[in-house]
Amino acid sequence: MSAYPVLSVTTFLPLAGAVLILLMGRERLARWVALATTVATLAVSAPLYWHFDKSSSALQFVESAEWIPAWNIAYGMGVDGISLPFIFLAAVLSVLCVGASWTAIQTRTRGFYAALLVAETAMIGLFSAANLFLFFIFWELIIVPLFLLIGIWGSSGRVYAAVKFLLFTLAGSVLMLVGMIALHHTCGTLDFKALALARQSLQPEQQAWLFAAFLAAFAVKVPMFPVHTWLPDAHTEAPTAGSVILAGILLKMGAYGFLRVSLPILPDAVRLFLKPMLVISAVAIVYGAYVTLVQKDVKRLIAFSSVSHMGFVTLGIFTLTRSGVEGAILQMINHGIVTAALFLCVGMIYERTHTREIKDYGGVGKIAPVYSTLLALFCLAAAGFPGLNSFVGEFLIIGGAFETRGWLGAMAVWGVALGTTYLLWLYYRVVMGKTNPGLVGLELELNSREVATLAPLALLALCLGLYPELVLSYLRAPVAALLAGVAP
Amino acid sequence: MSDLALLVPELILVGMALVLILVARRIRTARVAVVGTVLAALAAAVASGWLLSRGTETGFGGMITLDGYSQFFKILIASSLALVALVSVRSIDREQIPRAEYHVLLLLASTGMMLSVSALDLLTLYLGLELMTLCSYILVGITVQRPTSNEAAIKYFLIASFASALLLYGISLTYGTTGGTAFVDIASALSEHGLGSNPLLVVAMGLMVAGLAFKIAAVPFHSWAPDAYQGAISPVAAFLATGSKAAGLAVLGRVSLVAFGSEAQVLSVLLAGLAALSIIVGSILALAQTDMKRLLAYSSIAHVGYALLGLIAGTPEGASTTMIYAFFYVFMTLGAFCVVIALGERGENLDGYRGLAAQRPLIGALMLLFLLSLTGIPPTAGFVAKFGVILSAMRAGHIALAVLAVAFSVVSAFIYMRVAVFMYMEEPREAAPSHLPLAVSAALAVAALVTLIGGILPGSLVGWAVSP
Repeated sequence: MSAYPVLSVTTFLPLAGAVLILLMGRERLARWVALATTVATLAVSAPLYWHFDKSSSALQFVESAEWIPAWNIAYGMGVDGISLPFIFLAAVLSVLCVGASWTAIQTRTRGFYAALLVAETAMIGLFSAANLFLFFIFWELIIVPLFLLIGIWGSSGRVYAAVKFLLFTLAGSVLMLVGMIALHHTCGTLDFKALALARQSLQPEQQAWLFAAFLAAFAVKVPMFPVHTWLPDAHTEAPTAGSVILAGILLKMGAYGFLRVSLPILPDAVRLFLKPMLVISAVAIVYGAYVTLVQKDVKRLIAFSSVSHMGFVTLGIFTLTRSGVEGAILQMINHGIVTAALFLCVGMIYERTHTREIKDYGGVGKIAPVYSTLLALFCLAAAGFPGLNSFVGEFLIIGGAFETRGWLGAMAVWGVALGTTYLLWLYYRVVMGKTNPGLVGLELELNSREVATLAPLALLALCLGLYPELVLSYLRAPVAALLAGVAP
Repeated sequence: MSDLALLVPELILVGMALVLILVARRIRTARVAVVGTVLAALAAAVASGWLLSRGTETGFGGMITLDGYSQFFKILIASSLALVALVSVRSIDREQIPRAEYHVLLLLASTGMMLSVSALDLLTLYLGLELMTLCSYILVGITVQRPTSNEAAIKYFLIASFASALLLYGISLTYGTTGGTAFVDIASALSEHGLGSNPLLVVAMGLMVAGLAFKIAAVPFHSWAPDAYQGAISPVAAFLATGSKAAGLAVLGRVSLVAFGSEAQVLSVLLAGLAALSIIVGSILALAQTDMKRLLAYSSIAHVGYALLGLIAGTPEGASTTMIYAFFYVFMTLGAFCVVIALGERGENLDGYRGLAAQRPLIGALMLLFLLSLTGIPPTAGFVAKFGVILSAMRAGHIALAVLAVAFSVVSAFIYMRVAVFMYMEEPREAAPSHLPLAVSAALAVAALVTLIGGILPGSLVGWAVSP
């Protein structure tokens, strides 16, 4: 165990980088500082993975300090096997976001990279928080940089999308604020561990109300059907880095909230709400997939596919079976990798063609073979092709679903089939066939910076597909403890 | 120790006011008066802090007290005075306002506020509040050449004197029924006979709450605020929105806790109504504003509603959350007003904020900070403040009110973020604003630091805010 506060350093290093960028007068240096900061953040987080004890379900690397003693609120950090993979994902995606924005962002670059780094602090902090107060602070903190990223550097409908994103997420999270304050009032503490112990003091009815309050916040972020409508706009209008953060991390924050708050602290309410949650998840999977099928805009298509994919995640969580929950967490990581990669792919080609309409593409394969190969890999991964990462996650979730209710498993399988359809159809329309006349003469092939941006994700998709134990081994102990707590 | 020692902060302010009056004709630039006022404010704040270490004392026959509560608000009032004096530099020269007189009025108004927050007797309380209000009338109308300013002053005068009459009527009824004006006498009479013993007491309490609600511009006693803010020069509007509101809240807090403490249940109904109405009406009306000062006026109405949430519980813990709210509210609102003032004519209209962040990134970022804080988004002071008062409302069992409060913070997010959208996501239409005077920059920096540090490390302030 290292003596220095590794979690706080990892969390706040990007913030320091953001301050540095804002203090520097030179716009052109900003991206270099951002790159250095994100790489350094990844580097300082390394001890987390080396020294982590996988056999323990407790929070590790715990840090605590006095913060607001009059209200019994402390500063507390700590990670367990559930949160650790997300910290890694956030740190990796942040580096890639800088890579993807290298030439795409030409205006007000200092502000852009500063916002990106603040978002990284919020992402890592959220997954490291050991109490609800800190969790909430990071939860809200990420709204601001993303609001600016979408609204300033997005495409034509950016302001509408930014405001919609802000109001939706804020409307959800203020109810979480009420829930948090009610928990504080009833239990006298906001520490996750203490709350899980103090839950006996909550009446079943109170638990139900609290669950509903937290559900409002988590459901918007996931996003679950029917509060997903902000997502297509935000994803579509955001700059590539913004879409990557949204799809890669932000959507996972909601599902992580279920695992960190709802399941351990409000188990009675979880069992009470089980059926509606499962139904909503199944609807999200199938409805999301059908809506995805008819999209004409590449980014919108991937955005809607997230609704369907995140439906798998919530389905897995609320099966309350080991394979379902482990699969859900693995699937969150997988979705973070694959969807981020797909948005990166779209962003890279958009930079050259300035169109997102599927009908403007076609025959890209002949012009850009490397690009097409990588895109094929990520499309297959997203569709749950065996040997690639999403297959394992979806397989586990479907297993868990069949364990719970047969028809849930059937819906999930249906969703997978539809997923394969829309992804392969997208690939067919973009890459195969005759070259679209509009693309002739464009230099579509990726340069080495872009290949380097995509390569880590391709590698991760392959590694996790072939050896899912890389993540699953972290999950075993905490998921077992989590499920033991929810069991009646 | 003589009783006068309890009033050292007030005496410092009055002393500086007298000095300024004496040398008024020799003051040629605004700067001299500003320096004098700021120094006096700082000295008063330091004196308040120093007196704090002496523990609780009362003087002047039990009419004036020195306790943590009064010193907390005195420091807050002194800070508000100092910041307002700093940002007045430019307005005074541009509007050709009599320099010394303006500052004398600011100083005397602050003296009145300080007197009222340390009052333990309805008479000293009334005297303090009237001194404050009297100076405020003149401050609102101080730009004699501007018709809007005159109109605002007259409106403000008519409505506020009505409010003062209500307050005075309440005080006299209380005196008639309880036989005393000191808070302790009222409290003992109430605990002996109860509120039900004499229906006049209920009327008296209602009238006093109404009178004080006028001073803090809580709905339905708010109608003067938007007009007064819009008509007055921006620094005066900032002063009305911060210092006088903080004083009004402090007085309301002490009256409700100490004098009417035994009747917390009746009082909490009144306060809950005021709070809910202020939050709803303030937020909704702010949505429609295109004038920045009117927008901030309605926003301040909504914020008073939030601050009142802490008083509903009728407990010292609840009142201390109101203290925290008042403290952070003063700095974030002053910060927003600083930006309005810094931008001059352009800052008074919502359209003037288009493209500001591209032209002046630092001012844009600071305004964003204040707006986020006003919305209540962490890690800013506004979030800590909001957390506290909602916790207090929840403890008092007002869950519906807590939900209402957070629901309207989404509405307020729309109000404030509209400004942010203009600043960050629109193209500029006007030339970049000129550079700021040093004094305005200093005020901005102080407000920003408190707003940011208060959000990140609120621990010591939360521990310090102890109510009577």
